[in-house]
Amino acid sequence: MLDSPSHSDDDLLRLLSEGNEEAFLEFYRRHQGVVYRFGLQMSGKTEIAEEVTQDVFMTLMSAAKNYDLKRGSVPAYLYGIARNFVLRSIEREKPYLTVLDDPEREYASRLAGDQDTLGDLTRNEKLESLRKAVLALPPAYREVVVLCDVNELDYAEAASMLGCAVGTIRSRLHRARALLIEKMRAAERCTA
Amino acid sequence: MNENELMDGLRELRGGEPREAPRHVEERLLAEFRKRSGRRQTAWWQAGVIGAIAAGIAALVWLAGVTANRAPHTVAELRPEAAVLESVAEEDTSDFYPLPAAEALPAVETAMVVRVELPMSSLRLMGYPVNEEPSGEPVQADVLLGQDGLARGVRVVE
Repeated sequence: MLDSPSHSDDDLLRLLSEGNEEAFLEFYRRHQGVVYRFGLQMSGKTEIAEEVTQDVFMTLMSAAKNYDLKRGSVPAYLYGIARNFVLRSIEREKPYLTVLDDPEREYASRLAGDQDTLGDLTRNEKLESLRKAVLALPPAYREVVVLCDVNELDYAEAASMLGCAVGTIRSRLHRARALLIEKMRAAERCTA
Repeated sequence: MNENELMDGLRELRGGEPREAPRHVEERLLAEFRKRSGRRQTAWWQAGVIGAIAAGIAALVWLAGVTANRAPHTVAELRPEAAVLESVAEEDTSDFYPLPAAEALPAVETAMVVRVELPMSSLRLMGYPVNEEPSGEPVQADVLLGQDGLARGVRVVE
């Protein structure tokens, strides 16, 4: 039994690595949302998000001892594991994804004729267009937008998680935002 | 759309997403966790059994040693497994007084030392040089046995 109602993540990781089921459940319930949403925001598919959530926490069952507090927060650690599974899933599902995802081609021009984003762009439709636009970003841009802009992770944490410099995060974000604005403007022009 | 509107939209996206993984993900993970914990407990249980067996063997060996060192015994009381003090190499047998009858026996290849209790008079009969007057008091002695189990030498334990 866990005596205290709120254990630190560190304690929970230690306990769950010793086979404590309650610690595992508490840790899972505390962090599953972050992992699930990340999977969903990166893939746009609930089945991938579920699979990623499952894979991340299964990895944690055997690798909880590897977590080092000095190297970043628990959410950043989980994002790091989740990211590997997400990218693998995206790669695997690439031929079946409906949204084009080719970094070699000009992003805005690909979607200029996308009829799904036409029509009256009500607030919800605008959000839906934005969601699709994010999903259509190349993965390297998509992950920085999802981490920093959608989930408000700080740049340093994102950089440590992705194993790159803070400057790289900034430049990818800058480029990603430009692509998104271009896409959304193209969609607006089409409805005008 | 400008950058501020974009940022607002991205933040709104977060709010619009489902917040939780479906319940069945938790159930699957919990089942897997229990399975792994079960395996881990089985491993501990097996290690415990192996440890207990090893401890048992060690205790038996220790008890045999204690029994062997517990003196005095008469020759008749000695059980072979308890009487064996040590196996000795041939070169380590030099401090034993050779028994006259042993001359006709094959050379010692593998020797064992057995501690016994003997009357001093018996030692004298074996030809052991005894300076003191024989008394009725028994003395402890190590008997050197060859690979055939026959006595080759004797020494008095001080």
